[in-house]
Amino acid sequence: MTLSRQRGFVTPEPNEDWRAIAARVLPAEPTDAAIEKLRSWNLHLLARNPPGEFTGSDVLFVEPPLEGTGGALPGLDGVPGDD
Amino acid sequence: MLDILIRNGRIVDGTGIPAYHGDLGIEGGRLRQVGGHLNVDARHMVDAGGHVVAPGFIDPHTHFDAQLLWDGQARPALEHGVTTVVHGNCSLSLAPLKAAHRPRLVRMFQQIEEMPDAAFDGAFEWTWEAFDAYVDALRGRLSLNVAPLAGHSPLRMWVMGEEAQGRAATPDETRAMQQLLRECLEAGAIGLSTSYVDFDENMRPVPSRYAHAEELDALCSVLGDFGRMLQVVPEFYSTDITIARIDQLAELSLAHGIPTTFSPLFDSVTMPANVSRVLDRVAEQFARGARVWPQVQTRPIDISFSFEVASLFFVTQPMWYMILRLPREQRLAAFRDAATRKSLIDAVEAGGSSPWGELRVRDSADASLIGRTLGDIAEERGGSPAAVMIDLSVEEDFGVHFLSASMGHDDPSRVGPTLANDLVHVGASDAGAHIQSFATYGDTGYLFDRFVRDGRYLSLEHAVRKITSETAQIWGIPDRGLLKPGAAADVVVFDPETIGRGAELPVTDMPENGMRYVRDASGIDAVIVNGEVAWSAADGYTEATSGNVVLP
Amino acid sequence: MASPETTETAIVDAVVSPGHDGQAVLVVRLRHENGVVDAVTLDAVTAEKVLEACNADSPDALRGQPWTRLLAVMDD
Repeated sequence: MTLSRQRGFVTPEPNEDWRAIAARVLPAEPTDAAIEKLRSWNLHLLARNPPGEFTGSDVLFVEPPLEGTGGALPGLDGVPGDD
Repeated sequence: MLDILIRNGRIVDGTGIPAYHGDLGIEGGRLRQVGGHLNVDARHMVDAGGHVVAPGFIDPHTHFDAQLLWDGQARPALEHGVTTVVHGNCSLSLAPLKAAHRPRLVRMFQQIEEMPDAAFDGAFEWTWEAFDAYVDALRGRLSLNVAPLAGHSPLRMWVMGEEAQGRAATPDETRAMQQLLRECLEAGAIGLSTSYVDFDENMRPVPSRYAHAEELDALCSVLGDFGRMLQVVPEFYSTDITIARIDQLAELSLAHGIPTTFSPLFDSVTMPANVSRVLDRVAEQFARGARVWPQVQTRPIDISFSFEVASLFFVTQPMWYMILRLPREQRLAAFRDAATRKSLIDAVEAGGSSPWGELRVRDSADASLIGRTLGDIAEERGGSPAAVMIDLSVEEDFGVHFLSASMGHDDPSRVGPTLANDLVHVGASDAGAHIQSFATYGDTGYLFDRFVRDGRYLSLEHAVRKITSETAQIWGIPDRGLLKPGAAADVVVFDPETIGRGAELPVTDMPENGMRYVRDASGIDAVIVNGEVAWSAADGYTEATSGNVVLP
Repeated sequence: MASPETTETAIVDAVVSPGHDGQAVLVVRLRHENGVVDAVTLDAVTAEKVLEACNADSPDALRGQPWTRLLAVMDD
């Protein structure tokens, strides 16, 4: 059974911060830009307590949401990414 | 001679096969005969009068941990036909727990269950630290069966102390947690619970959330030795994160040969593809051989609020939201001010509409108002629903609470087929938690009322199977969930035409008159636990303490 | 409202929804740089901070705001 592709994620290693994770998962990007991308893909980690700090069990996405996963959001007919 | 003979029943045996008429005989806590006509004597006769005779319902997601210590009937779960509850969910259990850690864990419980201090202080005697001693403390006082989970958070606290809420475990600490979990499982724990979303009273993540993947994997290897369950609370408000959790659970299930379950899974207009995407992923993982059961609750989600805090219910009404964020005295003065009151009402009723008429009074010092709509009260008092909301709040010094019912997970045409799905585990009631916010009882009655009788999304037999034998099978609860000779005699007799849940009502039946919301049952005739009548419509709760700790 | 060709992640809209615990929450939907929309859920305290950071008096006023405004909740 082949699993369908889903949004990629990692979990933090002990003592990793945004900078360390950015270097691990987006090594080709300048660090600050990589951190900005990671934060924009992981707002669930920012909109909580303690904001922006990791716990060991967190899920960190390493890419934006995938095409076709947005759902038919009310009032957003025709928005790219909705299905 | 039988102990109990139930005559003239419509037997729905939990397997899902069509109902059939017959009698049911109980002796020594066991079912002796199921079906046919029994022409024997019995100490206790029950005339089912053609009503359904089914296995007792099993609720896989409750937080009765503390309540069971002073109320072995887990009221009002039992009168709804629930004969077995799983407690210790969401990483929180009262054992294993060192005495020094009790205040800290109690505060976490209070944050999640909203139980008053008195529920933990004086309502029972703390006689245990280890899991086996907690199980001993439960025995002898139970009127229904319990299947306790060991919570990951107290497990961490036992081994790591204060640092359980701050860092990864060392290899030695992980091994110590493994040994502790093994002792819990040997003492009868039905599995391990963990949480990815819960907070303590200081809004710090609960200890289980600080565990790295290696720690959970190590604990699951112990679960694998016993074939027991891992229960988790995922970030249910995000489909992508939930799917990531499903993948993690699937790997743990495959690696260690364990069942896993996550709860809750909601349907919502703000995430319309949530359930379908999650169930697609669950199906893919089941096809690989993993066991990852999503729990779906039957009841819709409500929003409740008072003027005591600024609820986001008002966020689309800027003037209301602004005033509700004022300091208390200024807020009270603003709502008392006639000109401000008029402006607030005008803002809501702009364009001639008069919304909020369907909102209900959830709690009030005036008991005659509880349960009534603002529209109804407005008609009686004059004015509009918005005016009534302000006036009642001012009159009661913000003590009145309002309810906006069925704001999510509320479309039967979407929830019904989900509940009927073979991959969906009907559960997630949360019974015994959130007790001062809403009633978490009666989900089983709601299943029959809304999704069997009204919507016909499930047959009667299918619905019974979902909350009896399927639950027992998923959790590895032996000997229950089916009406068959030799099985434990957990039985519920109910009228399929009237079974349901009553209105949500505030009561003060917690220790030291603590308040909570409950729902009464309707349509239940009798509830039998291990061969003894524990509750009946005619006599209410009995003295029976025939419940037990279910050993997997 | 942000246009589909916007490259920076931006808020599409925000709606009130019931939370698991009976409290209202604010579901903020964002369009990411690849055009796909997803959402982040804010509790009452965080939502209030975000509204203040965006100088918004209602959820409608969040439309089109860049995602970086949400970082305001990190800076407290």
